[in-house]
Amino acid sequence: MSTKINYTQAKKELEEIVQSIEAGELDVDVLTAKVKRASELIALCKERLTKTDKELQKLLEDMA
Amino acid sequence: MESSFSLSELNRQVRGAIRDSLPGAYWLRAETSDVRGNQSGHCYLEFVEKDAHTQSIIARARGIIWANVYRMLAPFFEKETGQAFASGLNVLVRVTVDFHELYGFSLTVVDIDPTFTLGEIARNRQRVLKQLEEDGVLSLNKELVMEAPANRIAVISSPTAAGYEDFKDQLDNNPGGFRFYTKLFPAVMQGDRSEESIIAALEKVYQYKELFSAVAIIRGGGASSDLSCFDSYHLASNVAQFPLPVVSGIGHERDITVLDIVAHTRGKTPTAVAEIFIALVTKTATELIELQERLVEETEAFLLKEQSDLLTLSNALVHRSSLFLQREFSTVQELTVNVRHLFRQALQKEMIGLQQITVNLKHSLRQVLKEETTALQQHHISLQHSLREGLRDELHFIKNVEQFVQMVSPENVLRRGYTLSIKNGKVITSSKDVQKGDTIVTRFKDGSVDSIVTGTSSKEIV
Repeated sequence: MSTKINYTQAKKELEEIVQSIEAGELDVDVLTAKVKRASELIALCKERLTKTDKELQKLLEDMA
Repeated sequence: MESSFSLSELNRQVRGAIRDSLPGAYWLRAETSDVRGNQSGHCYLEFVEKDAHTQSIIARARGIIWANVYRMLAPFFEKETGQAFASGLNVLVRVTVDFHELYGFSLTVVDIDPTFTLGEIARNRQRVLKQLEEDGVLSLNKELVMEAPANRIAVISSPTAAGYEDFKDQLDNNPGGFRFYTKLFPAVMQGDRSEESIIAALEKVYQYKELFSAVAIIRGGGASSDLSCFDSYHLASNVAQFPLPVVSGIGHERDITVLDIVAHTRGKTPTAVAEIFIALVTKTATELIELQERLVEETEAFLLKEQSDLLTLSNALVHRSSLFLQREFSTVQELTVNVRHLFRQALQKEMIGLQQITVNLKHSLRQVLKEETTALQQHHISLQHSLREGLRDELHFIKNVEQFVQMVSPENVLRRGYTLSIKNGKVITSSKDVQKGDTIVTRFKDGSVDSIVTGTSSKEIV
């Protein structure tokens, strides 16, 4: 999973997945993969809200 | 040489002249500048007048508000205007014109009309807002969408302000346990230099704009609130056009400054601004949780539906199959019955046919037999008849033959005169069988004669 994906993109993808499941247009096999991806995205988003982004913190600290 | 004044003598003269010509108190319209209180509670300031177009100062005078007046005047002014008595304000003050030999020219404030300042502030705000609207920038910052999560905040504040600490504390102790990143961009938030200082801080934030979701311009509450810089056109114009959403929190309750109007969101105090960010991130988190719940629900619903579809399908399959089998079975049964029936019918028909044939055959046989019998009888009769006739004919023939035989028998022939010529024991039937000299025997009915042949002739006699 790319860490470069930003929150907005992650959420958009997540919404698309949920919508496609809602629409019932998926194959059961695809569903499994989509739900897995959605779980990853949720974890990623939650992490963005609660966990410290060391990289960002360092950038802010190094700022002149 | 003309008489001369000592400085004090001259100043005394000036003092007298001023007192004589400007004896009372006068309403003065001017802008405050360099307002400062001292320990004894007196307030010192400067009054200036600026050229309406060039903004260059065209008049200046020192002012003083004695502590006994200032103690009453300052709260009254702040209560009425929502604005501390500070520099940069257009005020209408009642002044006495004084001149002191040692301290020089000064205007002593004895009263103030806050409504003038209110009007001035309002007029100035309207002017600035109109200009921003004409520039087409007024709502630009408001139109920005704050990128979620709104947890990376560039803070423009005085580093020592209590408000800044409140802001950080509020964020750090947010109940959701969300992580906020703040970076302070220090600025002077009060006084003449604040406008350019805040703009400089914004320019610095701009260099790192990718790192932040928003800018917070905050200022600790405190007693004094010099808001004039937040009505400044240049600051407002910068904020309006800033590429990140700006949240204002400049610590005043009553008035909305131009900065508040152009900012993306307005919070009254730094704490309120922190709450705004916390609410935004909480909303983001809630949306995420809702999405997660929806995902779970929809996935469950999806799977449930798939299961029920499968069940329905399998039920339908069983049902249809058994129906099909039943139908097939009954069809086969029906067919069996039909076949039996048909077979029986066919058999009956065959039997009837056979019986008929048997009957017919018997009948035919009987007829044939009868016919044959009749024919045979007929034959028999005709045969008997034929035989009888044939027998009669035969008898008749035999009788004829008998008569003929009797008639041609040698005794009868010989009796009638015919003889038999025999040579060497054999009957001679041709003259050619006899030659001259031969001895022949001639037989008669009553004996024989031997003769020698003297000649022969071949002449036919019959």
